[in-house]
Amino acid sequence: MPIAADILEALRLELRRGTLILAVLGTLRAEQYGYSLKTRLAEAGVEIDEGALYPMLRRLESQGLLVSEWREEGKRQKRFYRLSADGAGALEQLTAEWRAMNAALNSILQEGGRT
Amino acid sequence: MTDLVERYLASVERRLPTETAKDIVAELREALEDKLAARAAELGHPPSTDDVAEMLKAFGAPAVVAARYEGRMQLIGPVLYPWFWPAQRTAIGITAAILIVLAAIRALASDKPMQAVMQSMDNVIGGALTAFAVVTLVFVGVERWADPEQLAARSWDPKSLPREHIRKPKSMFEAGISLFFDVLFILFWMRFIPFPNELPLRDGASVAITLSPAWGVVYGPVLALALLAAAGHVFDMLRPAWSRVRSAMSIVGYACGLGVLWVIFQGRPFADVQPQPGTSPEELERAMRLVDGVFLVSMGIAALVWAITLGVEVYRQIRAGRVSMPDVRAAA
Repeated sequence: MPIAADILEALRLELRRGTLILAVLGTLRAEQYGYSLKTRLAEAGVEIDEGALYPMLRRLESQGLLVSEWREEGKRQKRFYRLSADGAGALEQLTAEWRAMNAALNSILQEGGRT
Repeated sequence: MTDLVERYLASVERRLPTETAKDIVAELREALEDKLAARAAELGHPPSTDDVAEMLKAFGAPAVVAARYEGRMQLIGPVLYPWFWPAQRTAIGITAAILIVLAAIRALASDKPMQAVMQSMDNVIGGALTAFAVVTLVFVGVERWADPEQLAARSWDPKSLPREHIRKPKSMFEAGISLFFDVLFILFWMRFIPFPNELPLRDGASVAITLSPAWGVVYGPVLALALLAAAGHVFDMLRPAWSRVRSAMSIVGYACGLGVLWVIFQGRPFADVQPQPGTSPEELERAMRLVDGVFLVSMGIAALVWAITLGVEVYRQIRAGRVSMPDVRAAA
């Protein structure tokens, strides 16, 4: 029986949720404002809904992982975000975690494919 | 920045905590400006109202967007929550009003009114708690099974966002139901729907009730107010976004309604009670007290509800005057 589309969608969202934070932290090694960050992520193949992106940026900032400042660009005020020192440390640890997990998963999924 | 975007941002702002609202809205305004600019570049001309509405719909319903800044798990989610307390107030209010009227009737008809009132209080408290529990269960059930966020994402219409920062527009369903009751009342008031005026007391004994002359004095004003209420509900269906005008109509309606109640109250007794053959003077006396008490309690409840609603509408008008467009520089 084929898996229901809504179940698959829920699983896909669950899988993406944790990785989005990693993608955002990784992109913010260079300073970005909201729209440019979304565009960067989309160019890299990571689609994120703005309704989720902006609250996430505020949350990461309140956790001390990001810093932000309002600045004028192109005659408009924009809020620029970048990784804080704590954020850089967290990104390093999360990246190591991701690589280890990725290697483990690759191994599991390849083994599964062979049987 | 288009009018629709400002209305959208005002709707989001209204749902955010005061201390962070302006800063969050300034950032959302920046994001929407960028999206509008990108869309204009794509189209080769400024986006139409339909384009802007489509963009806002994709951005998310104001309640959902604002709730994401809360970051907490909720038993009742952002789409249903604005309805939760109004539903509780209505359910508890109606239950309590019915039980209080029944308690008043029981007390007036009893030889020991105070004892009857004390006995009825348990029913009123129990009824209110039951109403609270039932409404909560219904909301939790709908939240769990109907996925209101998905429904809202599909069905909300940015063009129906209020023009002013006053109140959430009524849905077509709510306005339709209200209009139905308005029409029913108008037909009753104009005597197209007959109402029995004989109150049976026991076998072979009854009294005939006719309204006092004070009601004749307010016949025209009550009809005018009922027509105003019906017009208001038609207005809700045709122009849901014009909430400030609608709020002003409500203020006029409730203030005049309180005036009408005052005129009727001054003209007490509320009704003329005439004995029918076979009714004793004691039964007539008790029936008069009963009828007067029922009118007094019903009008008291109506006056209280209208006074509170009037206060809420006036507060909304004052609050609307205070809300300004968020200043990006100030937020910075």
